[in-house]
Amino acid sequence: MMNTKLILQSTVLSGAVAGLALVSGCASGVKNPSGTPVTEMRPDEKGFVVGTGVESTDLVRVTDKMARGILGCAQIANAPAAPWIVLDPVMNETRFPVNKTLFLDRIRGQLISKAQGKARFLARERMTVLEQERQMKRSGQLTSTSDPAVQEFKGADFFLTGKLSGMSSSAAGGISDYILYSFQLIDARTSEIVWEGADEIKKQGVADAVYR
Amino acid sequence: MRVVLQPLALAAVVVLAGCATHHPKRVALTGDPLVDGQNALQQGPARDHVLWEYRMAASAFRRGQFAEAKKWLDDALPRIGGIIANDRDAKKARGLFHTEARKMFIGEPYERVMAYYYRGILYWMDGEPDNARACFRSAQFMDADTENKTYAADYVLLDYLDGFITARLGGDGSDELKRAKASAKNSTPPPYLTNANVLVFLEFGHGPVKYAAGEHAQMLRFREGRSSARSVSLQVGGKKYPVLAYDDLHFQATTRGGRVMDHILANKAVFKDTTSVVGDAAIISGLALASTGEHNEAAAIVGGLGVLSKIFSSATTPEADIRAWDNLPQFLSFAALTLPPGPHEITLDFQGADGRTLVTKKVTFTVTEARRDLVLFVSELNS
Repeated sequence: MMNTKLILQSTVLSGAVAGLALVSGCASGVKNPSGTPVTEMRPDEKGFVVGTGVESTDLVRVTDKMARGILGCAQIANAPAAPWIVLDPVMNETRFPVNKTLFLDRIRGQLISKAQGKARFLARERMTVLEQERQMKRSGQLTSTSDPAVQEFKGADFFLTGKLSGMSSSAAGGISDYILYSFQLIDARTSEIVWEGADEIKKQGVADAVYR
Repeated sequence: MRVVLQPLALAAVVVLAGCATHHPKRVALTGDPLVDGQNALQQGPARDHVLWEYRMAASAFRRGQFAEAKKWLDDALPRIGGIIANDRDAKKARGLFHTEARKMFIGEPYERVMAYYYRGILYWMDGEPDNARACFRSAQFMDADTENKTYAADYVLLDYLDGFITARLGGDGSDELKRAKASAKNSTPPPYLTNANVLVFLEFGHGPVKYAAGEHAQMLRFREGRSSARSVSLQVGGKKYPVLAYDDLHFQATTRGGRVMDHILANKAVFKDTTSVVGDAAIISGLALASTGEHNEAAAIVGGLGVLSKIFSSATTPEADIRAWDNLPQFLSFAALTLPPGPHEITLDFQGADGRTLVTKKVTFTVTEARRDLVLFVSELNS
């Protein structure tokens, strides 16, 4: 009788230990051993990897808003002839390194697809290659369908540029980042800022204690 | 008694075997961070990826393989810049029965600072000073959350470079210079040379070494790396410029104060000690009871609990994570020069505290456009 009781107690005891060992997860040396297949996501969708910096969701939100703003600007909407716009790289004043052409490229893409010819763009960032091409045509190294001696490079009516400014704070492992995205359309002749749009995003989070 | 102890022993085997079986394969090291890093990325545990990317980036940087260095840093930075929360491995690392080294390595703040610092230099080399400044700002931010606020965000060079770039881009930069001067210990940075066209980043000495102290190796500590060089004599165009270190990574590693994780590890150590003492006491009591020959059932239960407590104690892992970015320098410095267009040679004498030259390095380059920044990086360390 006593033996049966002892066997029962010891079995429960050792079972508890073994159970704890398994629950505590000693056995799993590899996290997610089968991996995560590539997942296609919309650029405005939050992914698994999230920080407090500039992400594709912000890019989409901000550039969509800016493109709508520019289209509503009188100088573009009511212009007798579609103005020529040059993109001037944005200035990054945040603590996050960013691909600076990405914002303006997307705004340009949105404007071209939605403006129905109300705004036209000049490839000023390609000037070196374009000048070389023109020079080779002028020197007869390349053929030309028009007179290469004639100056046909167009001047800009407006410059579209922007700035990313930020403010960051950190306390007790928590991080907070505020970023102001501001864009301007500047009249190339008068230097007048004819349109300005901004968007702001604040993010914060607290890292796991093992990283604090 | 045997009836009780046998299943307990079996349970102990389950615990210990369970912990030992699925550890990832150890990768043999060659001593070349670029080779070892590639092997580690392919065969080693994912939690060490950032560690190897750091090491490979530093090594590639010193070999002049800047595209390679960028690749590794660009992969590592989003991981260290993000907020790691609700992470299963991090949760386990906090648990009693897993070591801290179970977590994904992103490094202590001085290591994260260096990842941003190197990436900043690479951005500047590519003609993107504002992105370089962003990296220097993020680097300084990594050091902002110290226990002792006296030492929060106190890298001299990071503030100096932030202000230097701001001034070069038409901004003010005077606040940053003020902060840099206030944080200066070894040497005070000079006023900005805003018309400089050659920017020389220098590093020397070996970075801090991590070790674990305490009875259960639960305390993360740092000791100074091997560093004989204390300054650099920079010579160009017949002129000598003495360059002192602005920042010392050993100082930075040791002045942050405690981590939250230190408290967790200390608690684990207390649990380990307590369960061990309780286990000893219970086993001795069980044996004493058994020796009377009258309380066998109680003896078995008390003794069994003692063994259980000892198993818990043995399975508790309070060891601090001492994985380290082990090819970092100790000292960081910077010099800005204005040189005329044409070919140049810079001679750099890395000197000890007594002024004796320990290592000499020469860099040749051509200044092609007077206004374009030419960024040079010279390390006393081998790749």
